[in-house]
Amino acid sequence: MAEVNVFKKNVEPQKRNPKLEDMKHTMKLFFKNKLAFSGFVVMMIYFFIALLDFVYPQYLGVTNANTMLSFLYGQQPQLVPPSPPTLSKGIMYIFGTTQYGIPVLPAMLAALKFDMAYSIAIVAIGVAIGMVIGTASGYLGGMVDEFMMRITDIFFSIPQIVLALAIIYTLGDNFIFIVVAFMIIWWPIYARLSRSLALSTKEMRYVEAATASGSSKFRNIFVHVFPNVLSPIFVQISLDIGIIVQLFASLEFIGLNRGNPYLPELGILINWGNQYIVYGAWWPIIIPSIFLVVFTIAVSVMGDGLRDVLDPKLRR
Amino acid sequence: MELRYFVLRRVLLIIPTVIGITVLVFILLRSFPDSLLVSAYINPHSTLPRQEQIQIAKEQLGLNLPVPVQYFYYISNLLKGNWGFVTKPFPGPVLLGIELFMPNSIQLAIFSSILSILLAIPIGTYIGSRPNTFADQAGRVFSLVGYAMPPFVLGILLILAFGQGVSNWGGAVLPFNGVVNVPTPVPHWLLNQETGFIISSPTHLVFFDALIHGDPRVAWSAFLHLVLPVVTLTYTILAGLLRFIRAGMVDATNQEYVKTARSKGVPEGMIIKRHIRRNALIPTITVMGLLIAALLSGVVVIEILFTYHGLGWFAVTATLDNQIYGVLDTTLVFGLILVFANLIVDIVYAFMDPRIRY
Repeated sequence: MAEVNVFKKNVEPQKRNPKLEDMKHTMKLFFKNKLAFSGFVVMMIYFFIALLDFVYPQYLGVTNANTMLSFLYGQQPQLVPPSPPTLSKGIMYIFGTTQYGIPVLPAMLAALKFDMAYSIAIVAIGVAIGMVIGTASGYLGGMVDEFMMRITDIFFSIPQIVLALAIIYTLGDNFIFIVVAFMIIWWPIYARLSRSLALSTKEMRYVEAATASGSSKFRNIFVHVFPNVLSPIFVQISLDIGIIVQLFASLEFIGLNRGNPYLPELGILINWGNQYIVYGAWWPIIIPSIFLVVFTIAVSVMGDGLRDVLDPKLRR
Repeated sequence: MELRYFVLRRVLLIIPTVIGITVLVFILLRSFPDSLLVSAYINPHSTLPRQEQIQIAKEQLGLNLPVPVQYFYYISNLLKGNWGFVTKPFPGPVLLGIELFMPNSIQLAIFSSILSILLAIPIGTYIGSRPNTFADQAGRVFSLVGYAMPPFVLGILLILAFGQGVSNWGGAVLPFNGVVNVPTPVPHWLLNQETGFIISSPTHLVFFDALIHGDPRVAWSAFLHLVLPVVTLTYTILAGLLRFIRAGMVDATNQEYVKTARSKGVPEGMIIKRHIRRNALIPTITVMGLLIAALLSGVVVIEILFTYHGLGWFAVTATLDNQIYGVLDTTLVFGLILVFANLIVDIVYAFMDPRIRY
C-alpha cells in the first residue's frame, strides 16, 4: 500500500510567506478593478513622461527644460498672441502656441516633472512628520495629545489656499517657497488620520499581548501600531498628490510664482491662456487644463481603488 | 448631555483655536522687519512730520517692547479695530476693505451652498436608491469629475461656453468680469466718487442694494454677474455632497431596519424617504465642514477668475501688491469664518443626531 503523506498539506504552509501572499491577493484585486487599473495606467504614463524628461531633457528638443523660454529655440521672447493648433510646423506645435510663441505641448510635458517630484516630496515630508506626531499623540494620549490636536486644529481652520498664500507671502514669491509652504501646511492631515487610527489600534488585543509580554511603549508604537496605520495613509497619499498638483495650479493661476515666471508649470500656462480667453483662444488654456484634470482624475480613481482593496472591511 | 451644554462646550472649544490662529498670524507678521510694519501706518497726506508718525505707529504696535508683549498689543489692536492700512486696491484701513468685500464672498458662498444642497438631496436620493444603474454611474462620473477638476477649470469652460463676447455661437450672454455693469448716470449709492470703487451702500451687496433702491436694471445686471461664479462653486460642492449622500444611501439600504420596513410592507417611496434618506443625510452633515473649507478655497480662486470683488480677491491682490496687512488680516478673517462655520455645522449635527452629544 502506497504511503500517503497525510502531513504534506500541513508542512507546506510553513514555507509560504503570508505577507507576500496577502500582497499578491491585494494586487490581484486591484488589477481586477478596471477603473482603478486604468487610473494606474494613466498615472504610470504621466510618471514615465516626467521621468524621461528628468533624465533626458533633450527629448523635448531643448537642453534646458527648466525655463519655458528654451522652447522658443533661440528666438527672443516677444509678446505675440497665441497661434492656433497646426500640424504643418511639426509635432511640437500640434497644440498651438501660447504667449511669447511658446509651444504648448512641450511646455506642458516639461511641467510634469516639477509637479510629480515636488508633490511627492511634500507628501513624503508630511507623512514623516504627521505620522510620527499623530501616532505618538494617539498612543500616548493625555496632554501631549490634547496639545498636538489643538495645533492641527489651527491648520484645519484656515482654508488651505489662504494659509498657503500668507506663508508664501512671508517666505517670498517663488516656486520653491510654494513647495515649502505646502510642506508646512500638509502634515496635520496625516497627523489627524494616523492619530485616529492609532487610537483604535492601541485597544487591539495584539497590542495588549505585546505589552503583556514586555514590549515597551516605543516598541509598541513602531512595531505594532505603525504598520497598521500605513495602508489608510497610503490611500490618503495617492489622493493628496492629485490635490497638491491642483493647488499648485490654482496658486499659479491666481498670479503667484512671480519669482520664476518662465517655469514650465500648468498653472502658469493656464494663467497666460486666461489673458487671451476673450479673443476666443481656447487652446492655450483648455489643453493644459485637460492635461491637469486627466491627471487628477487618474490619481483619485487610483486612490479610490486602493482604498477598496486595502480596507479589509470593503474587500469582500 | 443636553443640547445647551454641548453647545456651551463646543463654543468654549473654539477659544484655543482662535487664539492659535491669531498666534500663527502674529508669527507671520513678526517675521517681517519693523520698518515694513510701520510703513503701512504712514499717511503721506498728513500734516504731521514723518518721524512723529513713525513714533506714534511704533507705540501703537508696541514695537519697542519684547515680542511676547507685542502679541498682546496685537490682540488689543485687533479688538480696537486697528487692523492696519493698505494702499492697494484702495488707500485706507484694511477693516474698511473687509467690510466692503466680505459680503460679496459670503453671498457667493451662501448662494452656492444653498443651490448645491437643493440639487444634491433629490439627485442623491435618486441615484442612491438605484445603485449600479446607468443613472448611478453617470452620477458617479459627474461627482468624480467635480472632485478632480479644480474650480477655475470649470469656470474657464463656462466662460468659453457662455461668456459675453467670447463664444462665436449665439446665446453667449453671461458677463464674467466684475460685480456689476456700472450704468450711466451712476446711481449715488453705487460708487465712491473719489476712488471709483463700487461701495454699494447699505449692505455692500449690489443685487440687494439695487432692490432696496428700486433699480431693477442694476439688480438684473448684478444677478447676471452672479450666475457664472455661483454655478462654478455649486458644482464643486455638489460633487462632494453627491459622493457622500450616495455612499450614505447605499450604506443605509443594507441596514436591518430597512429590511424590517420592507418585510412589514411599507411602500418603497416611504422607505427611501423616511428610513434611508434621513439616515443617509446625517453623516453628510459631518463632511459639510470640509466642504465649507473647500468652498472658501474655491471662492478665492473663483473671485480672481471672475474679478468678483470679494474677500478672496482682496487677499490675492494684497499679496500681489505687497500689502502686508491686507494679506495677514484676510487670513485671520478667513480663519474666523471657517471656525464659526464649523461651529454651526457641529451644533446642527448635534441637534439632528443626539447620539454624538455624548
